[in-house]
Amino acid sequence: MSEGHEILEVSGLSVDYMLPQGSGADIRAVDDVSFTVDRGEFLGIVGESGCGKSTLLFAVAQLLAPPAHLAAGTVKFKGANLVGLTDRQLSAIRWCDLSVVMQSAMNALNPVKSIGAQFKDALQAHGKPSKEEIAARSAAVMRMVGIDPVHLKSYPHQLSGGMRQRSMIAMAMLFTPDLIIMDEPTSALDVVAQRALMLQIKELQQTYGFAVIFVTHDMSLISHFSDRLMVMYAGQIDELGATRTIFARPLHPYTQGLLEAFPSIHGPRVPLKGIPGNPPDLAMIPSGCRFHPRCPHAVERCTVTAPDLYPVDGDLVRCLRRQDGSLSSREEGSLSR
Amino acid sequence: MSELLRTERLTKHFKIGGLLSRRTLHAVDDVSFSIGEHEIVALAGESGSGKSTIARVLARIYQPTSGQVYFEGKPLSAIRSRRDGLRYASLVPMVFQDPFASINPVFRAQHGVLRILKLHRPELSAKQRLDEAARVFGVVGLGADMLQRFPYELSGGQRQRVGFAQALAMRPKLILADEPVSMLDVSIRIGLLNLMAKLRDEEGVSILYITHDIASARYVADRLIVMYAGQIAESGPIEEVLTAPKHPYTQLLLSAVPDPMAPLSQVTDRGEPPKVVDPAPGCRFRWRCPLAIEQCSAVTPALAEVRPNHEVACHVAQTGAEVRAFAS
Repeated sequence: MSEGHEILEVSGLSVDYMLPQGSGADIRAVDDVSFTVDRGEFLGIVGESGCGKSTLLFAVAQLLAPPAHLAAGTVKFKGANLVGLTDRQLSAIRWCDLSVVMQSAMNALNPVKSIGAQFKDALQAHGKPSKEEIAARSAAVMRMVGIDPVHLKSYPHQLSGGMRQRSMIAMAMLFTPDLIIMDEPTSALDVVAQRALMLQIKELQQTYGFAVIFVTHDMSLISHFSDRLMVMYAGQIDELGATRTIFARPLHPYTQGLLEAFPSIHGPRVPLKGIPGNPPDLAMIPSGCRFHPRCPHAVERCTVTAPDLYPVDGDLVRCLRRQDGSLSSREEGSLSR
Repeated sequence: MSELLRTERLTKHFKIGGLLSRRTLHAVDDVSFSIGEHEIVALAGESGSGKSTIARVLARIYQPTSGQVYFEGKPLSAIRSRRDGLRYASLVPMVFQDPFASINPVFRAQHGVLRILKLHRPELSAKQRLDEAARVFGVVGLGADMLQRFPYELSGGQRQRVGFAQALAMRPKLILADEPVSMLDVSIRIGLLNLMAKLRDEEGVSILYITHDIASARYVADRLIVMYAGQIAESGPIEEVLTAPKHPYTQLLLSAVPDPMAPLSQVTDRGEPPKVVDPAPGCRFRWRCPLAIEQCSAVTPALAEVRPNHEVACHVAQTGAEVRAFAS
């Protein structure tokens, strides 16, 4: 690694969804997103539906399919730009260096093949392992995620939701990649299985040192697991910084609103307001700051000037009033719990 | 608070498998609880614990295998005529989980409300129906301009409000809300929860709030019923159950709720689902329970009061011993 600890460097990434001719301009689902992931780092990406978080993951993994297409930007993985690589070049990287765990394991696994046969397919796509090697490696990854290797003979429908998700993660670890991208892998599980899976992912990550990009809509889920947090709104990064710092003092009004939208099972029962309004339609993006129609602190210039991502207190925040410091602590007091 | 609805040893089994491998899935077993007037009762549990089956039995979609449901003192099995069925359906309407699938996309938002008014309140004139539709839309926080919108023009939160408006148009006593906010974005969930509290406080409606999200249950509900594998594990006033949970499963559930403000708890349990197909007698949580004693594998624990109004189905808790199976 000549350029230091960074394993992934995304810069200026934009993704458009093409509309049929004559029905207006293309819809920009991801707008000028730049971030880096360090070796062994856990990056959490949170946002509501339609904020572009899944599209961003697909773009990073070069999995976009029409009508989505990459409009601009580069994705540098271990120093090489993935954008523009052919399918053959990409398939050498996939599974080996970079793997993806999808949201719904039931849809991502092949229902008519046993788990072991699907592991074998992936292993044989990258070399000519012997039967014994396949059996040994498959059993090893199953043990890593805490499933008895007898389940290699099982079909997806014979496993519980948690076990399916675990076997997806086992499959992603067949070649011990440097980066695993996870798109809401726990959203179909109940809280007990969800917590167990999160602890497992964190433990595996600490043991094998791979980096994780974890996308979720549930901010509280990753509060204890991610190193850095990226909050997305309407296709853009709103806030990016260390997870614990953001939870301790969220800077962007949207992040503050998200944190206050969760009732807690501890402490006093306080009435919550949530965030007024609805997430914007990407075909009709508000002028100026995209969050201003829902923002309790919006002033005149927020409706006109589109803010950049400004460095504030070591974090990056897309808020005009944070940048010039005009969002006073007194006003904030009305927001905090 | 007077009682509105009560179930007595409610049981619903499903036959599964072919001719040679006939087995019985115990979706709901021996469940007794009651819902009072002006009360929000949260029914919580993991997927497959029988929450939705209970809602469907209460909505008369399923016939119970055994047991009885009493509404305002009268058993549901006594409903024979279409008139009585309609009357019950209007007093106990349902609000569904998926607001994108539960509203007809080819009609305007007011269509459902107007049809309901025509069917259930035939005394209203066409003009009165439109006025009433505007009123219930107003109660759920939708402007009069929303009446003419098509569902595709509404957000998920607005659609779910239409669902509540439809229920409200029937002048209900009890709304069965099956995961009404789980499909919505986090920033707008609170708005719907606040609406449920408003319906209780201002319209005097009771709500059975079915959810897997304990934190949101605590936010709106008065009482909590925790289900596990088709049976009630624990029930009681929500604050008391959450601060002093007596059943090991409730403790496990609470320890797993993600909370950014609390330190991370290390749950060792994997969350494997229980066996509800032809279950053997005994406590269904015993495989996962660190406190299980011999009695747990022989006798199914019955729900018994350990404190006033606080009931637990656990042999260990019922002996009066302190239960600390999973620290939260």
